[in-house]
Amino acid sequence: MAKILIPTPLRQFTGKQDSVVAGGATVGEVLSALTTQYPDLRKQIFNDEGKLRSFVNVYLNDEDIRYLGKDATAVSDGDTLSLVPSIAGGSAVAPPENAAPESAPPEEITLSNDEILRYSRHLIIPEVGIEGQKKLKAAKVLLVGAGGLGAPLGLYLAAAGVGKIGLVDFDVVDFTNLQRQVIHSTKDVGRNKIDSAAEKMLAINPNVRIVKHEVALTSENALDIIKDYDYVVDGTDNFPTRYLVNDACVLLNKPNIYGSIFRFEGQSTVFAYEGGPCYRCLYPEPPPPGLVPSCAEGGVLGILPGTIGLIQATETVKLILGIGESLVGRLLLYDALTMRFRELKLRKNPECPMCGEHRTITKLIDYHQFCGVPAQEPKVTEGEIEVTEVKAKLDRGDNFVLIDVREPHEYKIASIPGAKLVPLGEVPKRLDEFDKNADIVIHCKSGMRSAKACGILKQAGFQHVRNMKGGILAWSDQVDPGVPKY
Amino acid sequence: MIRIESEPWAAMVAHAREAYPNECCGAMLGVIGGDKTGGDKTDGDKAVRVSMRLENSYAGAQAARYELRPEDLLAADKAARERQMDLIGIYHSHPDCDAYFSKTDLQNSCPWYSFVVLSIQKGEFHHANSWLPNFDQTEAAKEELIY
Repeated sequence: MAKILIPTPLRQFTGKQDSVVAGGATVGEVLSALTTQYPDLRKQIFNDEGKLRSFVNVYLNDEDIRYLGKDATAVSDGDTLSLVPSIAGGSAVAPPENAAPESAPPEEITLSNDEILRYSRHLIIPEVGIEGQKKLKAAKVLLVGAGGLGAPLGLYLAAAGVGKIGLVDFDVVDFTNLQRQVIHSTKDVGRNKIDSAAEKMLAINPNVRIVKHEVALTSENALDIIKDYDYVVDGTDNFPTRYLVNDACVLLNKPNIYGSIFRFEGQSTVFAYEGGPCYRCLYPEPPPPGLVPSCAEGGVLGILPGTIGLIQATETVKLILGIGESLVGRLLLYDALTMRFRELKLRKNPECPMCGEHRTITKLIDYHQFCGVPAQEPKVTEGEIEVTEVKAKLDRGDNFVLIDVREPHEYKIASIPGAKLVPLGEVPKRLDEFDKNADIVIHCKSGMRSAKACGILKQAGFQHVRNMKGGILAWSDQVDPGVPKY
Repeated sequence: MIRIESEPWAAMVAHAREAYPNECCGAMLGVIGGDKTGGDKTDGDKAVRVSMRLENSYAGAQAARYELRPEDLLAADKAARERQMDLIGIYHSHPDCDAYFSKTDLQNSCPWYSFVVLSIQKGEFHHANSWLPNFDQTEAAKEELIY
């Protein structure tokens, strides 16, 4: 016979007795005898499958039976069994198993009849419902970048009814943006992206509050901007900002919904979510400057940011609603050409300088320096030549070599008559095609790749090498508008 | 309805302020007043006479999480029995956050006790609520709280 101590709230089922005695050779048998004797107690302790409820721990004297023999733990006369619930909790951040940081008690949020109509297709999904829609309305999401990824994110998060959406962008809409940044229209070219994006989002859903942060996100302002939001969605296209967003999110304990794109491939995951890895766990160091081209340098399939941005939007909404299985700890890889998704497991790096046990980075740093990228384009004066001067040299028939270091497919789009095509990657092995004492001018699209090529040639001992400032884009602007810009 | 007497209430608020910016947790001991009529169960008035600090044993950052060791809860239950009282509820604090019952709270709760949440804003007590979670840990009803 064992004595079972009955917790206060269960005494109503045991005739108010605070302890009862039941027989049995094992813990399982004693509990079975107990619930036979007091049938109302069964539902309190066991679930429908007859297993102990998740919050119920059983102690034999001072030991948890999980560490003894569980149900089969032997019970002797004079033993005492206790039923102890397991209790934990926390304010803002839910456990790693996919629940959401709840920003505000949804009870303080109400939906108007217009909103109920607007969101009706959400409201009738049991996983969303009124409560879920209120969570969306209570949510505060910051979009860093109103470009390729920011476009679908902004449109769909506004449509979904996210209550407050912050936009960080200081760029201007350009014709080359229109192939993918569907939040901007042709008539918006020349307008600030942030105004153009906000206008489209409000046109879709005037219930959304849009906060414009028309600045470059920097180490000085990032914490101040991000602190007012629950979630940060990274739609940036450069490494300094990506590390900045990551570090700020870790410091402020805000989930960072990450996406990146290149040509036909994209990635997405959720960083800095409690228990999960951060961007630095995946990439402790940035790649060498210039190794990974940006969209402007490498190109991107216009539809790709739509796919990746919408994965980010989906993850954001799931986190807000606290439903499903998030991408925390999983890096989703997408290849548009093969139309395949793959998944890599991401683990938190215990040695991570940002989110590991022994954090060495405790504040925001200089990210341009960290990534080896100057904050502004260097003003290289030495070794540069203006497009107009190159034109004059051509017109005069000067004896010089004009080398175009772009790719053949770019050459087909636009080229300068007389230029010799040597793609940057081939430059080192084709040096012997040129005379080391010749007057050489190198150009590319905007001047970045040609600057690298100039470096290669100078290192190889070429004496007179100059970089055509502004590349073929400047040529189109200043010399020949007939040459298309791309 | 749950009424917390002034002495345990002051101790709970002091505990929550000391733990700030972390969450604190503890047990509330007292009596469930009056005979319930009609066989209806847990909604008799509760009076908290003693509060008991318990250690927040959550292994990670405690600014937004707490965890109670079952052993400590067992000790609290024992302490209640010794004083001819009952273990009535659990309290914990929400630093810089409202005293609502979060999803984390709900999923790690149990339907047997009152859960009092104290909101501590910038280190000072702000407001409090008491919650009664349901069986499936899907919802918690607000319980009238008097302190």
